[in-house]
Amino acid sequence: MTNDTAVAADAESGGVPYRSRRRMLVRAGVPIAVAAAIATGIGLVPALAADSPPDLPSLTAEQVVAKALGSDAQSLSGTVSVATDLGLPTALLGAAGGLGAASGHGGGSSASADPQAKLLDLLGGDRTVRVAVDGPDRQRVELLEDSAGYTVVHNGDQAWAWESATNSAEHFTGQPGRPGEHGEHGGLPKAPAAPLAGAPTTPQEAAQQFLSASAGSTTVSVAGTARVAGHDAYQLSVKPTQSGSTLGEVRIAVAADNGVPLAVVVKTTGGSTVLDVHFTEVSFAKPDAKTFDFTAPKGAKVTEHAAGAEPKGAAKGDGAKGAEAKGDGAKGAGAEGHGSEVNRPQVIGEGWTAVVTTKLPGGAEAPQGEGKGKHQAKPFNPQTLAKSLGKPVDGGTLISTKVVNVLLTDDGRVFAGAVTLPVLQHAAGVN
Amino acid sequence: MSRADVSRAEVPRAAAPPVPAGRGRGTASGYLALFRNELRLVFRRLRTRVLLGILALLPVLIGVVVKLNTDSPHDGRGPSFIAQTTQNGVFLIFTALAVALPVFLPMTVGVVAGDAVAGESAAGTLRYLLVAPAGRTRLLAAKFTAGLVFCLAGTVVVTLSALAAGAVLFPLGDVTLISGDTIGLVDALPRAALVAAVVALSLSGLVAIGLFVSTLTGSGIAAMAATVGLVITVQILDGFPQLDAIRPFLFPHYWMSFGDLLRAPMYWDNILKDLGLQAAYVAVFGSAAWARFTSRDISA
Repeated sequence: MTNDTAVAADAESGGVPYRSRRRMLVRAGVPIAVAAAIATGIGLVPALAADSPPDLPSLTAEQVVAKALGSDAQSLSGTVSVATDLGLPTALLGAAGGLGAASGHGGGSSASADPQAKLLDLLGGDRTVRVAVDGPDRQRVELLEDSAGYTVVHNGDQAWAWESATNSAEHFTGQPGRPGEHGEHGGLPKAPAAPLAGAPTTPQEAAQQFLSASAGSTTVSVAGTARVAGHDAYQLSVKPTQSGSTLGEVRIAVAADNGVPLAVVVKTTGGSTVLDVHFTEVSFAKPDAKTFDFTAPKGAKVTEHAAGAEPKGAAKGDGAKGAEAKGDGAKGAGAEGHGSEVNRPQVIGEGWTAVVTTKLPGGAEAPQGEGKGKHQAKPFNPQTLAKSLGKPVDGGTLISTKVVNVLLTDDGRVFAGAVTLPVLQHAAGVN
Repeated sequence: MSRADVSRAEVPRAAAPPVPAGRGRGTASGYLALFRNELRLVFRRLRTRVLLGILALLPVLIGVVVKLNTDSPHDGRGPSFIAQTTQNGVFLIFTALAVALPVFLPMTVGVVAGDAVAGESAAGTLRYLLVAPAGRTRLLAAKFTAGLVFCLAGTVVVTLSALAAGAVLFPLGDVTLISGDTIGLVDALPRAALVAAVVALSLSGLVAIGLFVSTLTGSGIAAMAATVGLVITVQILDGFPQLDAIRPFLFPHYWMSFGDLLRAPMYWDNILKDLGLQAAYVAVFGSAAWARFTSRDISA
């Protein structure tokens, strides 16, 4: 085969039966070079893409805040990346999710597209959300899950929440707000994660929450410029003036041309990032009108929510009813629902060091798992769970995460906030 | 691999027309002849047909199981898209692909790709192949392309079988996408074809890996086992959240992203990442297979 013309012409394919070691080594270098080239490419492309911060006329903090608050951009659509790293114990997240599901619809046996359980979902890990907004009346938020989707559409007095994994939808009529917002307000008062249960799904919401909630106790400054999703933006740095907060800094990127907040990054005093919400792609064009049209898919299980009903009461009622109807040990969940109505959470202090306090429901019996639903497989007793997760401190048990600290006093009171332990102990009157 | 099997497949290869001496034309037509023979070798083999048969049975099995359990409540557990399948037979395609993609498809691809060179080496036919003036590079390219064709064939078999089973067992009609929008059946079938194409391409990196493993050993069984074992190992690694830093670079990491095609509008980010990753694996392991195959002594 050595003297064949085709082989001679195609010399690189090597017709020579016996090769030197050197040639073998040279050939082995090719895949290594290819791998190195690809690795360099992967390393370099983001570095090249992250171009230098844009040159923008310098503005004062007030001007940037005003720009953000006075933003008249009515419509936008885009993709948002939400990364949360709250350092929550995973067992806690699971329990909170189970509690949410249980108080929402009486146990995991009835699947539904409950917005409030989904918000808890946002607390763990990285999520991609597609948003489309056209004025205050029409919004669409789509949570992209693995091989599944969760969509909330609000159009005028209609709102839908749709979950593909369970093929179920919730239909809200006559409520001007988005179901997601109801979920936040009617959230889980006792779940330790409650103060953060309203994890913002758009940079707008997040920025506006921070900007309006933090007047007085806060220093706001402009920390240079940045490019977010192809738009020039001012970086607004928001820091607490009070000590005792676990939050170190909130950075909000405000679009230079129309004032829309494009990114929000929350850092702890320790410097680690706990929340990073930013647009990866955004357009301010008016979204297609049919984006906001939603009809219940054929064959989907639809839960109707009557007009005018107070959403929180409705949800709780559902929970109690569901528990009774099932009568399968979901009594604990029912008791939870009632208990939380009796012990409304109170807020001590204000600004960054606000502490939420409530009383644990007495005699909340753990729903013993009867294999009915995955959420009931684990007995849920707040006290026991807290003791197993937390560490004993003066006056009770402390459950500590990157941001939120929760103190359970021995007499069954709960104090939670994005604050350090001494602030919690002070609020509890321990020392 | 039985000897009789191989010798049967070898007959057409030996009878292939001699390659003309001219460089450009000779390269192309010689490659085509090689490729055709390679295809024949793969698809005439009883083993390949059995594998495709298993792939065809899988959607039927899933369909029957889902059909029998239509009334029992499901709360989002089970394979992806299972909730939609009961409403619409088209979704059986996506359920079947979601079930087949992590295990069955890679297994069959691993068997075919792993056997490509090592099998011939074990059967003693490799040196006869190399006597033909085709050159090792082209032979390797032909084997790689045949492997890709097998990926496509496997995916298409799953898709068509699922479509047929879905049409028999469940109603067909308007399709509800996972974003909640509804599209007509006419729009849904091109999406299914697109999904099948993406799934087939998702396996291209594995073909390159299998081919490389195949050039390392003279035993077909060893190469197949190593490739399939590698698939399983990498998938297990992909399940560890602690390995977040490397997971996006594991070849099965974005496999399930084909579900993003079932949103309105389609979401391409993860699919493009998947295809880019596969291209990188093809480049690295393809060149590694080339380096090994063209510089090794073929004694069997």
